Amino acid sequence: MIRRRKECVAMLLAGGQGSRLKVLTEYTAKPAVPFGGKYRIIDFPLSNCINSGIDTVGILTQYQPLELNNYIGNGRPWGLNKNYGGAHILPPYSRNGKSEWYKGTANAIYQNIHFINMYNPEYVLILSGDHIYTMDYNKMLKFHEKKKADCTIAVLDVPLKEASRFGIMTTDEEDKIFKFEEKPKNPTSTKASMGIYIFNWEVLKEYLIADENDPKSDNDFGKNIIPNLLKDGKGLYAYEFDGYWKDVGTIDSLWEANMDLLDPSSGISLGKGNKKIYARNYAAPPTEISATSDVKNSFIAEGCTIRGKVENSIIFTGCEIEKGAHIVDSVVMPNTHIMANTDVLYSIIGENVTVGKNCVVGGEPSDYDKKDWGITVIGKDNEIEDSTVIKPKEIL
Amino acid sequence: MKMAGIIFSNIYDNTMAELTKHRTMASVPFGGRYRHIDFVLSNMVNSGIQSVGAITKYHYKSLMDHLGTLDEWDLDTKTGGFYLIPPFLEGQTSVYRGKIEALSGAMSFVTRCGCDYVLLSDSTVICNIDYDEILENHVASGKDVTVIANRDPHLINEPKEFVVNAYKGKVIDVALNCVTGKDDYIGMGMFIMSIDKMVEMVNDCVSRGKYHFEKDFIQKEFNDGTISLNLYEFKGTVLRNNCIVSYFENSMKLLDYKVRKEIFSKNGPIYTKVRDEKPTYYGASSEVDNCIIADGCDIRGKVENCVIFRNVTIEEGAVVKNSIIIQGTTIKKDCNIEYVVADKDVVFTEGRKLIGAPTAPVIINKGETV
Repeated sequence: MIRRRKECVAMLLAGGQGSRLKVLTEYTAKPAVPFGGKYRIIDFPLSNCINSGIDTVGILTQYQPLELNNYIGNGRPWGLNKNYGGAHILPPYSRNGKSEWYKGTANAIYQNIHFINMYNPEYVLILSGDHIYTMDYNKMLKFHEKKKADCTIAVLDVPLKEASRFGIMTTDEEDKIFKFEEKPKNPTSTKASMGIYIFNWEVLKEYLIADENDPKSDNDFGKNIIPNLLKDGKGLYAYEFDGYWKDVGTIDSLWEANMDLLDPSSGISLGKGNKKIYARNYAAPPTEISATSDVKNSFIAEGCTIRGKVENSIIFTGCEIEKGAHIVDSVVMPNTHIMANTDVLYSIIGENVTVGKNCVVGGEPSDYDKKDWGITVIGKDNEIEDSTVIKPKEIL
Repeated sequence: MKMAGIIFSNIYDNTMAELTKHRTMASVPFGGRYRHIDFVLSNMVNSGIQSVGAITKYHYKSLMDHLGTLDEWDLDTKTGGFYLIPPFLEGQTSVYRGKIEALSGAMSFVTRCGCDYVLLSDSTVICNIDYDEILENHVASGKDVTVIANRDPHLINEPKEFVVNAYKGKVIDVALNCVTGKDDYIGMGMFIMSIDKMVEMVNDCVSRGKYHFEKDFIQKEFNDGTISLNLYEFKGTVLRNNCIVSYFENSMKLLDYKVRKEIFSKNGPIYTKVRDEKPTYYGASSEVDNCIIADGCDIRGKVENCVIFRNVTIEEGAVVKNSIIIQGTTIKKDCNIEYVVADKDVVFTEGRKLIGAPTAPVIINKGETV
């Protein structure tokens, strides 16, 4: 019997809480947070996979999985509904005499060794569900094969002063990594890990099993697996990526990444030609832009009714912006209703929120002291009464 | 009590000018992101109909492209689902002449779908309607055929092809191609009957060379007293796209919020093919008044009273008024366009001026460069 196999299986780490996104991840896993008018963060890695010819993706969920599971369904919106392969949701489960949560990123993969073995792949691609970028993983895979590497890590050239926020790789002229430091005080390189790894499955499996047997380990890729491979002299290579990439793990970075969509020089892309970013679509009619509206430099999805002024903003599917309302430099998530004569400035408004009439939400940075200003956030399902003032930096 | 649906996709093909040159009436784009068939198909699905057949005659490639695997409508199912019924499906030796002959190609579909009733519908009458409620009404009436119709004060004195005269809800007369009075009901091209009745009708009519559903069956047999008719009056908003002028007028009616609410969401959403377009970008130079705009557009010019489909580009300095711009069209800098219907993938080169009239909009063929 011929046994089918997959060359490369992707494992997407989507179980993190994302506590730095505060109210936005109170009931939602970080990868399911809305982004860019009609997407969710996880649409980016999932679309990258299918656009790179990788059609088998294990999605590791743990924190608040309901919305995420619902969103992914059978993977159809991404073309990941397959008889052999496709999208698989992988929550932790109990087994012979043992049941435990995913203790760390490496442990999450360890607990799914059987899943990966099912496809008997040559390579495993490890991804995280909290980055915005479009990337052809196939090119990275080609690089990995060419270098005959055991592990390839995607890296981004970052400014030296920011390097201490990342895991930093130091390489020789052949791109071989000889030093890896997690958040170094005095970085010796500017090659920052993007949290995207390709491993030879046989090598990774061996190290995952060894790591699990080490009681002192944090079971983490960055802290344990990569340093152990390096220590044993395995072939680790850095693959340089030069496109747009952003970790949207904080309120500020999430807002900035949305605003980057409005700035062509940022390099952010929502896909080109046949390689689109796919998302689950809801059946919403076209958007009405009425005679009382004024829309400048903004992205607006379908199903909206726009009667107010919208400037430098991202408006998601199904929103209503009433006459006299003024949305500036803000992100308004799906099915939210902003009533008449309300100003929303430099804010992120969550899903299904109603903001009453004559409110002021957030403020211009120029009107405040630097320490008093920040992005204002209103969490999902909130109802804000008429004439409420919500200051910059407030999080409801 | 299950009902199947059958859609006739080629009705009025010859009245829509160039819009039906390469496609069926059912796949004519309408409403910014939809095709005609989306409305009747979504209404069927939202009313719990699980088995749908679509009868086609010619040019049905675009229809097949649009419907794909029917997953957007949840009709990609193990039982029931969707069937395309082209001519020559079951040993016919010629293309059918009318609905009854067409239905003879659908006989195995209706007899095997496991339903008791069938809804026959055109695709050009746009509304948001609950067929389940009408089925109950049909069954309760005990009549052979239910005719779905509405009254529309705006259509008085215009000839309509199927008119019902009724007294206290009871059908008195059926007239074809007749001028309507204010109390007349205008047929919406939708009929409900039992599958047994339909099979009987098809066998009976085909063997006698009759093929015109409304004339040879409904009108003739009603007058002969061999069938009984039940009238269901639909009271919601109805848009009839039976010629290019009404198509244009009805598109403009969608700019009215109340009409849109009725058409797009009253009983359930209208589904269509997903194209994974980005949200629409409105540039700093854009000026948009009273338009409906779908996803994937790039709007930098002045747009007024328009229906803009997916993936349309309107460059800076262009002025577009009272027009319907269909998917993939590009309007370059400094164009001035009024009362135009631009079909798919049209390019208006820089500085073009093109002005039609509400009664005769300029129609630009698919893929043309102006």
